[in-house]
Amino acid sequence: MDNIKIEATERSPKIDFNFAANTFSLSGESYPEDISELYGPVMQALKEHLGSQEGANITFDFELIYFNSSSAKILMGLFDILDTAAEDNQVVVNWHFESDDDNMEELGEEFGEDLENATFNMVPKD
Amino acid sequence: MIAKEMYSFREALAKQGVIFCYSGYMTEEVLAGIGKTLRSKLDMEKTDRKVARGIFSLFVEQVQNVIRYSAEKEPDTDDPDYDGKEMRYGLLTVGQNDDRHFVACANLVPKWDVDRLRENLTKIQNLDKEELKALYKQILKGDVPVGSKGAGVGFVDIARRATHGFDFDFIEIDAEYSYFALKAYI
Repeated sequence: MDNIKIEATERSPKIDFNFAANTFSLSGESYPEDISELYGPVMQALKEHLGSQEGANITFDFELIYFNSSSAKILMGLFDILDTAAEDNQVVVNWHFESDDDNMEELGEEFGEDLENATFNMVPKD
Repeated sequence: MIAKEMYSFREALAKQGVIFCYSGYMTEEVLAGIGKTLRSKLDMEKTDRKVARGIFSLFVEQVQNVIRYSAEKEPDTDDPDYDGKEMRYGLLTVGQNDDRHFVACANLVPKWDVDRLRENLTKIQNLDKEELKALYKQILKGDVPVGSKGAGVGFVDIARRATHGFDFDFIEIDAEYSYFALKAYI
């Protein structure tokens, strides 16, 4: 599958999906005008790819500054896809947040607590 | 006379602690523009970062509510097949009163929707932190409620961010519409 690299805008995150290396990341802001247009195709590609993996080492880095409630729904879906993939693979999910951002920390914990198979790390940064 | 008229308008806003005010058609462009300026202003004032993040978040959720749900719109069509550009009318104020910051939005809503909104918001208003968190996750995991264009979780998000709660009410405008206002405090 071709790698996906979408540059960040003021309102949408940088999306960097390297399928060959099994490393994925979302970083920046997420309150886009059209949530399905931005995330629909990349989520589909990720789901298809992960569904075909077995025994792989997969890493997903979330490095978000702010996301709105519609994006939260997408993130919940991503966590779900990753946890399913972790049934047959080693999946590591890293949630990066600014150390003084209690809200982002709390949201990370909330998303992370539902993961049953994937390894979840909270990564504070200064 | 023009200056006097405008100045008294400005004074009326200032009395209520309003720093930002926008009345008109709300679009994603307006959201992006005001959002950027709001962030710069909060940054310049050296507003506590947590408070600034909260204000920005309340601003985005509230403005997106107007963009998606205001009953006053151009073009004025209820055709479900219409998928062109549309603009919806609303009023936004951001300001500070005493020690509390606020973000308020108001727009027309169809009368038939008032009971549902009131019930929904009253329920959310009475939930504690843990209950709000549980509802937030439940909505994120579930199907999108009927009539919702976003995740349907906007009000819960507002309640979670508004550290000093929120107020809302409605007034009747005519046979068809009511005016809905919501003010969230941080």
